[in-house]
Amino acid sequence: MDRNQISKWFKNPGKMANKYSFHVVYFCTGCGIIEIPPSITTRWDAERFGIIPVATPRQANLFLITGYVSTKTLKAIIRTYEQMPEPKYTVAFGSCPINGGMYYDSYNTITSLDKYIPVDGYIAGCMPRPEAIFIGVTHLWKLIDMDKADGYKRYRRDYKFYRANQEQLFKELGWPPLFKDASL
Amino acid sequence: MKILSLFISPLLALIIGLLFLGISRKITAKIHWRCGPPVYQPLIDVIRSFSQKSISHGAFFDFGIILSLSSSVVLIYFLPVGDLYAMTSGGLIAFLYLMLLGPFGIALSSAASGNPNSSIGVSRKFLLALAYEVPLLLVLLTVMTHYNTISLVEIVNIQAGTGMAFSSWALVLPGIAYFLILPAVLGVRPFEIVSAPQEISSGPVAEFGGKHLAFYTLQHALQLFVGLALFVNIFLGGGTLFGLLNPIAGTVWATILGIIIFLVKMFIVLVIELFINAVYPRFRIEQAMRYLWKWPTLIAFVGLVIVAILN
Repeated sequence: MDRNQISKWFKNPGKMANKYSFHVVYFCTGCGIIEIPPSITTRWDAERFGIIPVATPRQANLFLITGYVSTKTLKAIIRTYEQMPEPKYTVAFGSCPINGGMYYDSYNTITSLDKYIPVDGYIAGCMPRPEAIFIGVTHLWKLIDMDKADGYKRYRRDYKFYRANQEQLFKELGWPPLFKDASL
Repeated sequence: MKILSLFISPLLALIIGLLFLGISRKITAKIHWRCGPPVYQPLIDVIRSFSQKSISHGAFFDFGIILSLSSSVVLIYFLPVGDLYAMTSGGLIAFLYLMLLGPFGIALSSAASGNPNSSIGVSRKFLLALAYEVPLLLVLLTVMTHYNTISLVEIVNIQAGTGMAFSSWALVLPGIAYFLILPAVLGVRPFEIVSAPQEISSGPVAEFGGKHLAFYTLQHALQLFVGLALFVNIFLGGGTLFGLLNPIAGTVWATILGIIIFLVKMFIVLVIELFINAVYPRFRIEQAMRYLWKWPTLIAFVGLVIVAILN
C-alpha cells in the first residue's frame, strides 16, 4: 500500500485518490450480500482502506455486483452503471456473474455479465470469504496503477457492442443511448 | 491584521473542518472497536470527487451549490476565532440570516435535480431548521439581553474579562439548552434525519456526484466549523481561558495561543457530540420536532425570563 508516499500523490493525485477512496454501490443481488456486512463493519473493517458504502450511484466510483444477475435486475444494473460518474470500476463478486455458476441453465438469469457492462475484475468463489474482497481490492489497486482498470473507457469505445447485446436481450430498453455517436 | 484574516480565516476553517470530519470518522471507528480510516481521508475523498466527471442538471444545480459554499465562507468572516476576525459589524442578527443561506443553496440545487429523495430531504431540512430555530433564537436573545450587545466580538471580549459565560449562573440554563440542540444544528445522529442514507439515500445530495459532491463536502466541513465555533464563542469564552493569556496580551504569541485554545475547546465539544452520535439511533422528524419544541425551548425560555428579571 503506497498511501503514505507523498511523491506519488504529487505525480498523479487523481489516480491515487481514486485508489484510496472507493465509495461503493453494492448491488444486492443474490447471496453475495451476506458477505458484505462483516467486511464493512467491525470484524474486517473495510473503512481503514477508505472503502465505504454510499447510497446513490452518483457519489460512487466502485460498483460491486454480489451474486447472480437475473434479467430483470440486469436492467437496473445497467441504469445504475450508466449513472455513475467516470472514472468508475466494476467488480463482480462470486462465480455467478462469471459464467452463470449454479444457475448456468436457468431461464431467467444471464450467464456472462461482461457482455452487458464492462467488468474490471472478478472475485471468484461460491461464496468468496470477506478476505477475498480485500485481495480483490488490492488487485484492483494494481490494475489502476497499470491503467488496466479501463472498463469505463471500454464502455465508451465499444458502446455499440454493449448496447446491441442489451437490446438483443430486452428488445425494448426504454431509454436512449448513453453516447450519442453510438446510435444503432 | 484584518486584511490578513480575510485570507486566513476561511482557509483555517476549511482545513480544521476537514480535519474534524476525519477525526470524527476515526473516533467513531474507535468506538466501534475498528481501526478506522486515516484522519486525512476526507481530503482524499475531496480530491477523488474533484477528479471525477460530474453530471449537471442545469444552471440552478450548479448555482445552488456555489451559493451554499460561498455563503458558508461569508459566515466564517463574521465569526471571531480567538483574535482573528474580519468583521465586527452585523453581529448575531446577520449571522442568523446567513446561517439559513447554506441549506437554501443546497435546496435550490436539489430542486433542480428533480430527484424525489432530494425533495424529501430538503423538506426535512427546513422542518428541522424550523424546529431548532425556536430554541436557538431564544438562547441568542437571552445572550444578547444579558450582555446588552448584538456583536459577537463584543460578547467574546466581555467574556475575556469575566470568564466563560457558563461560569456566570444566569447563562447556565441557555447554555444547557444550546447544548441540547447542538446535534440538530450540526445534523449528527439523533437528528441525522436530513441525510439519512438508509431511508432516502443521503437526501438532498442524492444527485450530487463528482465536483458537486466535492463542493458539498467542503461546505459540510465549513458548516461543522461554524456550528461548533458559534457555541464556543457564545458560551465557552472564545479564545480565552480564565485570563491565562492576559500577561502577554497584544503580542503575536497571544493571537496564536488564543486560536489554539479556541480549537481545543471546539475539539472537546466535537468529541462529546461524537459520543452522542455513536450511541443514539435516528429520530423520526415528528419525534425530533416534539423533542426540540419541548425541553430545549422550555429551558431556554426559563433562562430568558431569569435574565430579563435580572436586567
